[in-house]
Amino acid sequence: MASALLRKSITDLSRRRSRTFFAVATLALAVASIGIFAMPTLIDRAMQKEVTAGKLADVTVWIGGVPLEDSQLARLAALPNVRAVEPRSYFSGRVYVGARRAPIVVVGVRDFASQQAEIVRVTSGSPPRENQVLTEAQNASRGGLGAGAGDLLRVVAGDGSERLLRVTGVGHNLNEAKDVVDGGAAVLYATTGTVASLSGSHGYGSLAFRLADTRPAATRSTIESVRNELAPIAGFRGFTGLPETRAAGEWPGKEDFQKFTDFFSIVTVLALLSALVLIANTMTTLVAEQTAEIGTMKAIGGRRRQIAAVYVKTAMLLGTLGTVVGVGLGIVLSNVLIRFLGSEFFAVDVGFGVDAKIIVLSVLVGVLGPALAALPAIRRATRVPLREALDASGSAVGAEDAGDRLLRRVRFLPRTAQIGLRNAGRRRRRSLATAVIVALAVGNLLAVMGLAAAIASTTHAEWRDHGEDVKITSESGTGLYYGGADLIRSVPGVADVEPIFDAKVVLRGEDGIVWSVHSNTMFHVRISDGHWFTAAQERARERVAVVGRNIARVTGTKVGDRVRLDTAAGPATFRVIGITPSQQENGTVIFVPYRTMHAILGEGAAGTDYWVRTTVHDHAFVDRTTTRIEDTLANLGYGVSTEIEYVGEADNVAANRMITTVIAVLGFLIVAISMVGLANALTMSVIERTREVGILRTIGARARDVRRIFAAESVALAVAGWALGIPVGYLLDRFLVWLVQEVVNVEVPFVFPLANVAYALVGTVVLALVITWLPIRRAVRYRPGNALRYA
Amino acid sequence: MAAVVSERERVLAGSRAPLIQLAAVEKVYRMGKLDYHALRGIDLSIGAGELVAIVGPSGSGKTTILNLVTGIDRPTAGTVTVDGLRIDAMSEEELAVWRGEHVGVVFQFFQLLPTLSALENAVLPLDFARRGSKRERFERARHNLDLVGLADKTEHLPAELSGGEQQRVAIARALASDPKLIVGDEPTGNLDTVTASEMFELLERLHAEGKTILYVTHDLELAQRAERIVSIRDGVVVAA
Repeated sequence: MASALLRKSITDLSRRRSRTFFAVATLALAVASIGIFAMPTLIDRAMQKEVTAGKLADVTVWIGGVPLEDSQLARLAALPNVRAVEPRSYFSGRVYVGARRAPIVVVGVRDFASQQAEIVRVTSGSPPRENQVLTEAQNASRGGLGAGAGDLLRVVAGDGSERLLRVTGVGHNLNEAKDVVDGGAAVLYATTGTVASLSGSHGYGSLAFRLADTRPAATRSTIESVRNELAPIAGFRGFTGLPETRAAGEWPGKEDFQKFTDFFSIVTVLALLSALVLIANTMTTLVAEQTAEIGTMKAIGGRRRQIAAVYVKTAMLLGTLGTVVGVGLGIVLSNVLIRFLGSEFFAVDVGFGVDAKIIVLSVLVGVLGPALAALPAIRRATRVPLREALDASGSAVGAEDAGDRLLRRVRFLPRTAQIGLRNAGRRRRRSLATAVIVALAVGNLLAVMGLAAAIASTTHAEWRDHGEDVKITSESGTGLYYGGADLIRSVPGVADVEPIFDAKVVLRGEDGIVWSVHSNTMFHVRISDGHWFTAAQERARERVAVVGRNIARVTGTKVGDRVRLDTAAGPATFRVIGITPSQQENGTVIFVPYRTMHAILGEGAAGTDYWVRTTVHDHAFVDRTTTRIEDTLANLGYGVSTEIEYVGEADNVAANRMITTVIAVLGFLIVAISMVGLANALTMSVIERTREVGILRTIGARARDVRRIFAAESVALAVAGWALGIPVGYLLDRFLVWLVQEVVNVEVPFVFPLANVAYALVGTVVLALVITWLPIRRAVRYRPGNALRYA
Repeated sequence: MAAVVSERERVLAGSRAPLIQLAAVEKVYRMGKLDYHALRGIDLSIGAGELVAIVGPSGSGKTTILNLVTGIDRPTAGTVTVDGLRIDAMSEEELAVWRGEHVGVVFQFFQLLPTLSALENAVLPLDFARRGSKRERFERARHNLDLVGLADKTEHLPAELSGGEQQRVAIARALASDPKLIVGDEPTGNLDTVTASEMFELLERLHAEGKTILYVTHDLELAQRAERIVSIRDGVVVAA
């Protein structure tokens, strides 16, 4: 008995090969989507290897251009807890990209062959000698500097002269690469000699340390010993920024990537939910069709539990097949995605990897999921009274109801379209299930498209808040400090100049950025709570702050609170007078009065930047004025780098486009799952009605008539699904916006473009027609004789 | 005996121009690994305006002959000519159009489209043939439903009609394009005796109007009401 029942489970699958194929394909895609959960583990594994190979620093201190002898470096390396030290020098300047000058940072490496920490790996070509450079691998992905080995770069040196530097290959360092990805200047690697000849200074800008003990207390004490060791050295004026520490297991960009994968996981859960609906639908159809057979088994003594076991086994067999294919697909999918993201975000070549935990999860979901999804249908089918079960035809045609009557009134369509429409109405339950599948696809698509549009519009809105056309950043050591505004204002084409401080701070344990600006700043600060500071408050150097809403939410900061900011000059307490919804620096900007910060940091502090508004905002004019400012300042011996706002905006939009593209790829994965389900439903519909096709052909229907009937049916289902999908998409979009705020901590506005709704309609109908093309073609190719004999 | 063809019938067939001619027709169905010979080389001629019954035991090849005559199936060997056309050489598309215009088919289980009303079912072949204006098509379909006695049930769905009524709709549908040839596969097989007799009277009336009628039946009594009986056994014509 048992073996005969098992045989039935198997033959139920082999008998309906099309259905088995689609069910397995649906399951396989669902199981494959679980593979996305393996991404954090796989990338972490690859990055840990990279951290070890690249000897990433545990602590980096910023010393602002101090010349150090070998003996002084040796003493630093011999400090307790220090395993190795690597000095770096920097030159911030500009390189010609066609007629425009783009910002670059040239990183000076003492000896490419014996780097002790923060290794710059030569990924292709050869290490640079004097007047040669390596280009950072991420420069290419940002599109800023597409130079390759052999190219000559025209760089503007600190003294304003132009130098030709030959590119000898591609180099890579995780921290520098992250700066490029975060929208910073393009990075070049050169010898410290080359950097010194460009900047005119022999000082080192940073010291990277590898430590024996990376626990916080040990790290803090090592930083103190470093400070003490440097203190007597001529030219050292204290750390110019907060020391950067890297906890064990951390790597640059890990936190951002974690947020990114968290978001991925949420979308993956949506994909899984879509797949489960599909599986439940497939199993319901499969069991419903077998109602007569269930009746027969009951009639010959089969007990409910025995009959149910047959179908549970069928479901598990389907699940096993889907799992085998899906696990393989999932491994491929996760590796392809990781390889793409690894190279896009980190310029790291991620090797092949498998996460055993995720495979176990995939097998459990893949094998047990279909059985669980089938249980309600099995329960229903085994409880149908025997007489009714024996009479069941599998595709019952019930009495006419209000819905049917409504469809019968649609008489303006061609007869073939009317038949298709009524057929969709006749199999109400299945049509509804199919429409739900389409609705999930449309809803998901509308939601991710809405989110992508929101991200794009936020980017544009944030850039619109900038009143300046150019931002001038002082280079440490030779920068323009206070009083530079008048100098810049004297350059022809400059309408207005505002000096600002832009410094990293820590607010209640969270990293933030202080923007010290005037009360009448040219930046458009929007206030959601409290108020902006007044000119009087600025004059009085009051310690007041307007805090970005995101960092305020995370730290629980409210208007009226007194907060301590850890600055490079030590802690300072501010009173929060306002909250801004601005999303600059991911909503972590803290605005404070310029003069207040000036007083806190003192005359010697580096970091004064200038916002410059030009008299005309035309791109060519802004370019020309920027070049004039750079030349004027360079001639006076000031080292500055400039950032043209319209170029920055374009880069930012391009960077966000990558994120939205990845979101769209995930959206399409969900759509693909749903479309397999739609193909399944429509193929079954065609197969079931093979006899009907035979009759139609017998009474004179041409191939195109039959095609129209089925096309009308699939279009009707697609349109119904689209209509249902609009509210689904609306709610899902709201959910995703909330999610992005909670998970990624970025505030994006809710956007639901109506144009997307129209595109979705066109896309759904076209896709539905494409998907049904194959089964319809098969239906019209049947000879009427074969079709009429089809059982 | 019904299986024996009378001299009168032989003369009748010979005296009329042949509408249907099957020459050396064979039909083999492939059933898994086995070949099933449904027809083993038959020759058959049916004149225009004849009323012919095909009889024989189950599996003898009766329905296969109907399928070949209507172009529903193709012969494995031999030729099938209907009204001067070699239909075995026509494409599926040509056959569909030809059937829609020249042949009416009535099935044992009616085979009406369940979502269409009686009138819509009866007008369907005309829609497919795109013959006449929409109004003319409906007038013709109404006329045919009137002819079969269903003028008052034109808006009923098949599920709302009795078996006999459904078969009448099927006949009205077969008459849609006013075909010369009406073919019935056990047209009364699913009806009670009284309804079956009424249905046959309808076919006789159409025959009297000049239609050629070819039908398959198990019912010897109904077979004997034909002008000619063609008897099939094991894929060969034993009497015609």
